[in-house]
Formats: sequence, C-alpha cells, structure tokens
Amino acid sequence: MRGPRRARRATGWQALLWLGPSLALIGGVVAYPAAQLIRASLSQYSVTGLYQGSVGLRNYARLLRQEALTTVVANTVVWVTVIVVVALLMSLGLAQFLDKRFPGRRLVRWALIVPWAASLIMTSKLFVWIYDYYFGILNPVLQSLGVLDHPVDWLGDDSTVMGAMITVGIFVSLPFTTYVLLAGLQAIPPDVFEAARVDGASAWRTYRLVTFPLLRPALLVAAVLNIIYVFNSFPIVWTLNDRNPGFGHDTMITYMYKIAFKSSLRDVGLAAALGVVNVLLILLAVLVYLRSVRWHAQEA
Amino acid sequence: MCHRRNGKEGDIPVRRLRLTPLLLVSAVAALLLIACDRNPGANVTSIKVVIADYSRDHTRPFWQILSETYTKQTGVKVDLQVVDWNSIDQQITTMIQNNQPPDVLNLNSFSSYAKDGLLHSADQVMSVKTKDDFLATFTRGGEYQGKLYGFPILSSARAFFYNKDLLARAGVGAPPKTWDEFVRAAQRVQALGKGTIGYALPLGPEEAQAEWSVWMWNNGGDWKSGDRWMINSDKNLQTLQFLSDLANKHKVTQVNPGKTNRTDGAFQLFKDGKVGMVMGFSPLAKQLDAEGKVNYGVAEMPTNAGTAVTLAVEDYLMAFKKPGNQEAVTKFLELYYQPETITRWITAEGFLPVTKSGLDRMRADPKVKPYLDALPNAKLVPTTDAAWDKVKLDVQQNIGLAVQPGGNPKQVLDQLQRNATAAAGGR
Repeated sequence: MRGPRRARRATGWQALLWLGPSLALIGGVVAYPAAQLIRASLSQYSVTGLYQGSVGLRNYARLLRQEALTTVVANTVVWVTVIVVVALLMSLGLAQFLDKRFPGRRLVRWALIVPWAASLIMTSKLFVWIYDYYFGILNPVLQSLGVLDHPVDWLGDDSTVMGAMITVGIFVSLPFTTYVLLAGLQAIPPDVFEAARVDGASAWRTYRLVTFPLLRPALLVAAVLNIIYVFNSFPIVWTLNDRNPGFGHDTMITYMYKIAFKSSLRDVGLAAALGVVNVLLILLAVLVYLRSVRWHAQEA
Repeated sequence: MCHRRNGKEGDIPVRRLRLTPLLLVSAVAALLLIACDRNPGANVTSIKVVIADYSRDHTRPFWQILSETYTKQTGVKVDLQVVDWNSIDQQITTMIQNNQPPDVLNLNSFSSYAKDGLLHSADQVMSVKTKDDFLATFTRGGEYQGKLYGFPILSSARAFFYNKDLLARAGVGAPPKTWDEFVRAAQRVQALGKGTIGYALPLGPEEAQAEWSVWMWNNGGDWKSGDRWMINSDKNLQTLQFLSDLANKHKVTQVNPGKTNRTDGAFQLFKDGKVGMVMGFSPLAKQLDAEGKVNYGVAEMPTNAGTAVTLAVEDYLMAFKKPGNQEAVTKFLELYYQPETITRWITAEGFLPVTKSGLDRMRADPKVKPYLDALPNAKLVPTTDAAWDKVKLDVQQNIGLAVQPGGNPKQVLDQLQRNATAAAGGR
C-alpha cells in the first residue's frame, strides 16, 4: 500500500513541476493582464496616463453614452459576419480544389500561404496603394475593363470603405481557413468515398451526404477561430481607415485604440472598459455560435 | 492594442515565476534599488531617454552618439529609446500608467504633463545661460502657468509651396498673395486638366490642426481669445466655409480633402508633380530637393487679413521628476543644448533653430532663409494650454467632416468649441 501511494504523491509533485512553466505562462499572459485590464477599466486616468483613483463602474456607464458606439457595434457585426461567412464559403471551394491531385498543386498550396505569412500591416499598406484614387491600380484596371466610368475613391468614399476593408479581411483569412478545411478533408477516410461510389452516389450527393457532414468538426474550428481573429483584427481597419476622420468606419477594436490615444477622450480607463466588453462579447458570440450549431450533439 | 500592451506587461511575471531563484535575487535587488531611491542624497546610475523618430537617417545616430558622450563624461548610463511618432503617445501613456516614466522625453506636447505635476521646471534642471539662449517665442511656447516646463528641442515653420512649372503653364505669374488670387490661381491650375490639382488640402486626421491653424490665422481668427476658447467664432466659420468651398464649390482640391492625410496624401501628390500649391515645411523641401522631380518655389501664405501668418511648430524636451535624477538629467540637457550640438542635429534633420545661438549659426544657409524670414510672423498653436492635447485630437478627428460634401462647418465648429470648453473645465 505504502509504495504506490508514495509513488502517486511523487507523480503529483512531478506533474506540477512539469505543468509549472505552462501554468506560469497562463498566469502571466492571460490571468495577470486580464486582471490588469479589469482594474484599469475601474480606474480613472488623466490624459497623460497618470492614475487618478478608482471610479467603480463609471467608465462602463460612460461607454454606453458614447454617440459613436452604435455605429461602431454595427460596423463590427458587418465586419465579422461578412468576412467569416465569405471566407468559409470560398475556403470550402479552395480546400476541395487543393485536395485534388493536379500538376503544380504544391506551388498553388505555397502561393496560398503567402498572404498568411506576410505581415498584416504590409498587406494592408499594399492594399492602400492598390485602392488609392490617384496612384492605385484598381481604378485604371476597372476602367479599362469598362466596369467603371469614373475612378472611385475606395478608401475615402463612405459607401466603399467598409467593402474595401472587408475584401482585404477575406483575402488574409482565406489561407488559414482553407488549410483547416483541407486538413479536415484529408482526415476523412478514403473508404467512405469508396462506399459512396459503390452505392452509385453522384458527386454532389457524395459531397452533401458524406464529405460535408464529416467536415463539420473542421468547419466548426475554422468558424470559431475566424470569428475571434477577425473580431480582434486591428491592422487592416487601422491602416486602410487612417485617412478618415471620426469613427464612422471603426470596429470595436480600433475604436478602443482611438478612445485611448487618438480621440479627444484620450482615456485609458474608458478604453479598458471597452476592452473588457470586447472580451465578453467575443466569448458570448462564440458561445451563441456553438449553441446554434449544437456543439454537444456534434461531440456525441 | 490593449492586448498588445498587456502582453508586454505579462512578460515580466512569466520570467519571474519560472525562475524562482532569479525572482528572489531580483526582489532583493529591487528592494535595494527602492531603498536607494528613497535616499534623497543618492543619484541614479542610469536614465531613460525617449526621443521621437524624426528621420531614419539622423535621429537615432545623433542621439546614440550624444548618449555615449554623456556616459563617458558622467558615468551615468542612458537607456535610449527612439520611438515612431505613430506610437509615441501610446508608449508614453503606458509608461506613465505603469509608473515607469522616462527621465527625458521628446514630444510635441508638454502641458498635460506639467499639469499632472510630473515635470521638473527649467529652474531645476537647466543653467540660466542655457535657458536664456532660447528664442523668446519658444520660451513662451513652453511655459505652463508661468514656468518653463517644455524645453524647445527644435522648431519648424510652414510655408506655401508652389509648382513653378504648373503655375507658369496655367498663366499664373507670381504665387498668390490674397485668398482671391489664391482661388483664381487654383482654378487655373485645376483647369489644366489631366488630373492636375489646384491646391492639395489635407484635413484628414494626421495633421489637420496644422493646416486649419494657418488658414484660420490668415483670416484673422484664432483658437483662443485670452483665456477663452473661441473655435466657433464667426471668422473661423467663414474660414471653414472657405475651405469647404474650395473642395465642393470651386472644386480646386484633390478628391475628399477631409479624408486626405498630409504625408502620404497631399505631400505625395505634390512630389508627384500633380499639384499646383500645397502648404509644406522644410523637410518636404529636403525630399523635393533629393528627388529633383518638381521645380518648386516657396512663398508666404496667401492671406485674407492683410499680413501673411504662418504656423511655427515647437517640439519639446521634458524632464520627468524622479528621485535622484535631477543632476543626471541636468547634465544630459546641458550636453544637448551645447550650441554646436543642437545646431548639428537640427541642420541634419532639416528643421529650424530654437536658440539665439542656433539662429545666428543657421542664418547663413540660403535653403533655410525663407523659413527663418517667416518666423517673425509665425504663431504657435496653444500647446501651453493643457486642454490643447484634447482639442488637437478633436480637431484631427472632426474638422475633415466639415469639408466633405454635405458637411456642416458650423455644427463641427460648435461641437469642437463645446468639447474644448469642457476640456478646459478639467475633468
């Protein structure tokens, strides 16, 4: 009796020893900053960032009174929904394509990784120059194709800014999404396709009744991670929208930054309150999504 | 950004927790340091110096060498950080929020820091000789409640740049002196067609307050009257309406001037030879000279008020109050303000002097002459008012909206005025 118990206790200590670094990491990179964020959201700071005492929930109340909040929330909903849905749909097609054997497949797979590997700021800057009214190549191309009569100020015209930003968002979301779905496709055992073929199922029927249901776990992962990434995405909106005054095209993430440093509010406490709201909101969004796709049913 | 910042904060405890022995050692060391700090007699052994990045080629090399010289002379180490303008506000705020302010900071504002009681005044960290060498305008521009807290580090002045070739082709003999002449000149250049732009007007968030200031002053308006903000005065409304008309009625500006930034918008267009006129400053001249593509001239601003007024911009050095750093900071500032040292840097960066000795040294340079000539009629934005730091951001984020089609100049100015008054009331 004594032997095993001692052994078990030793394992407990050992386990802690091995877990220690990652626990410390979680404590340091997740728990501590989260606690700091919450603390900051309950505090008042001067323009310079100097702590001026605790104000309870007053920052949250002030946040709700911000005029721009409605616009910013609406922007965020459009931004996240459109990018995630379109990126998923396009990636389903791309993944299917990349799953097939064809000459040059390796090259195409590599090419798809590039927008993912490039820094978001660089990609965004590149698109700024593509979209530019005077120097960009988009207008001349569209005009010579006869799509446009007049050049469009893609990043300055209120009706096109969001679309222009979303396009970049989709572009940079495709690689990751496609690769998750591709991995999902390759995890499907070949014999189920064989069985379908033996049963004489058409290609579309096979996809609908075999491939797609088996792809759902991968789809779920891709959707949840994309919702989080896209919601938290800062560089695209920041870079493409930097010429526009006001908050008309901001998402909650860039709005948070502007509250803290770039608007006349210049208020770290208020920004921290929005930061807390953002975290809660993204948790809620993911939960609602998981509910709607019946996460538990999937598990079972 | 909060994530980014908190990520940085998070790094420290990770290391501490993982390396328990190191934690103990550092805790002891920290206690000793605190003990040292508490002792008023003890002096610091290193100072943190945060400098804004004016140019890739000159800023870091200059301050690096200065820091090394300083360390050699005093034995005090320098933790030099050269920070990009885009992120400097954020970084400084974070430093102060975490109670780790720099010892010496270079920024374009100072009064909020003075108001929060974070700064040494000139009397505490500067010799009388150094202080007296500052040009009077810039001393005034660095004072908060009668004391000098924002030490001028360099200055610049706006001037009116025009593309000689385009103006000649449009039949405009001389750069316009009045607003009427200006509108006519812009119309003629715009009429050249092929995407030619009369005047590039940047009222996007980057530097809208500068562009606005110059037009406002040249119509006889101002930010404040005495102690009161008067952003929505009739004069100013007239000015903003004039700018809106340039864009929407006369159509002599680039597309969407309210959504055009200065550096990658208006300046870029001028450097590309597409623009007849733009409001520039000496670093733009440097770039134009280097590229050699545009045949440009520099003139006084067109005015609607008789005398041409331009904007001078003063950037600051500040010394933060930290235990035991007074002597170290004093020596650092004295080293920078050596006449040959400060002039060497200002010349390299293409800016203008802030000291009498520097003015004497730079007067001979013909390139700098038009700006130096403009300095006597130059005005500063009200950086000495602590509310300015908020007003500036408010103008940057809003004034562009007024010149968009369907924009409402009066509404925008009224809102700016309300916010300025509220900010001045202190919150």
